[in-house]
Amino acid sequence: MSALVVARNTYREAIRDRVLLGIVIAGFAVLALTQVLRPLALGEGLRLTIDLGLSSIAFLGLLVVLLVGAGLVSKEIDRRTIYNLLSRPLPRWVYLVGKWAGLSTALWVVAAALGFALWALVALLGHPGYAGSIAEAVYLEGLELTLVTAVAVFFSSLSTPVLSALYTAGVFLGGQWCDDLRMIAGHFPGAFARVLEGAADVMPNLTLFNMRTLASSGATTSALHLALATLYALLYCGCALALGAAALESRDFK
Amino acid sequence: MAVSWAVALALGAAAFALAHWSARALPRPAPFGELAYYPSGRYLRPAVLGHPETAADLAWLRAVQYYGEHRRTDNRFDQLAHVFDILTALSPGFQSAYVFGSFALAQEGGRFPQAERLMRSGLENNPTSGRLAFEAGFLYYVRPGGRDLAHAAECFELASRLPGGPPSATRFAAFARQNSGSLVVAYALWADVLNTSSNRYMREAAEREMQRIRLAIESRRESLARDRLGVPGVIVRPGS
Repeated sequence: MSALVVARNTYREAIRDRVLLGIVIAGFAVLALTQVLRPLALGEGLRLTIDLGLSSIAFLGLLVVLLVGAGLVSKEIDRRTIYNLLSRPLPRWVYLVGKWAGLSTALWVVAAALGFALWALVALLGHPGYAGSIAEAVYLEGLELTLVTAVAVFFSSLSTPVLSALYTAGVFLGGQWCDDLRMIAGHFPGAFARVLEGAADVMPNLTLFNMRTLASSGATTSALHLALATLYALLYCGCALALGAAALESRDFK
Repeated sequence: MAVSWAVALALGAAAFALAHWSARALPRPAPFGELAYYPSGRYLRPAVLGHPETAADLAWLRAVQYYGEHRRTDNRFDQLAHVFDILTALSPGFQSAYVFGSFALAQEGGRFPQAERLMRSGLENNPTSGRLAFEAGFLYYVRPGGRDLAHAAECFELASRLPGGPPSATRFAAFARQNSGSLVVAYALWADVLNTSSNRYMREAAEREMQRIRLAIESRRESLARDRLGVPGVIVRPGS
């Protein structure tokens, strides 16, 4: 049994989950809502459509990670179904990577579907040239969700679903505020400033995956930015999954 | 089961009626009341969790409704400057917000200094926007109580050099310079219009103005080159 098998099963479970269906429906509902609000936007309907569309992908994806991802491992531990899996010649890290890959793939599918719907709507409004910027923004949001999923899987190896969701949400908030943490650190002297800067560096730098400002004006980002964001996401995911594997290996399932 | 449905419908209808009545009977919450607690958009940015553009869009929708409601009633826009400061701090590239906010503040709001400050911040945040430079020029040109032709001309000239500036920007700059007394600069700008415009009527107009300026300079009578421009004012009829 390989990570691919675990990933495929996790993907199938996620896709069949009613939460995911609800999320996709909510995403389409937000896109429809933008068209209802468009007449009130005094000529800024396109901007409103793109901003709300991209934000809904990010927030709805986060919701899936917190509802599904945070309990990915801990639920199997509670139900004792993990014993069946780990009794086979399946290294625990392979199991964890498979779980992460499966849910991440499901999230990529959702992000791609909603991103395509957004582009189709924007094209219907007479602006087909926004394909590049929307595609890049959705790609970066997919990377962000993949990273947060890795964090959720790590916490899920350690704790209960509720606590895992809370810890994951906390890391998400920290990741959005790491630039502000660095700025605040500059106002304090010595050791405390270094502690704050260290915390900012440990938190995932989620602002790296944000190009919504550019997307709403149809602009694209540089290949360097995309490459850096991809590399950073892979490194951080690897780190989080390695920590999760260490935590899972230290647990004695009896 | 029928009893449960009946109870649910009865309670739901009662809740619906109560909500409908209380929306009319109770005082309405002040629009933007919550924004009053934020001294600036800079402190609101962390609260929107990486989605300042979306937050700015939602604030824009409410700002447009706020303007519309007060335009139809009391023509008091006490919160408008604060809201647009926050909105543009969240999204410094939101050019329409600078334009709409500045003109609403300058015209109906009667607060030109705040309008000017908002527009200037727009120019600082969008230094390559010919559109904003042109709108800034127009803001000065129609300043209630007295046109500021010198600043208008500066902005129109800037707009003519920046991407996105309308083709008429040079003509506007020439007109503003001419009527503010900068005849030499105006002459050069009209010459530019003459040499670059593809519109025959514009070229004829440029030649005429250049002729007027030559005459004014030669006879040392600046007034020959100036038009009689009225003083802009704002007449606001409540409910119109």
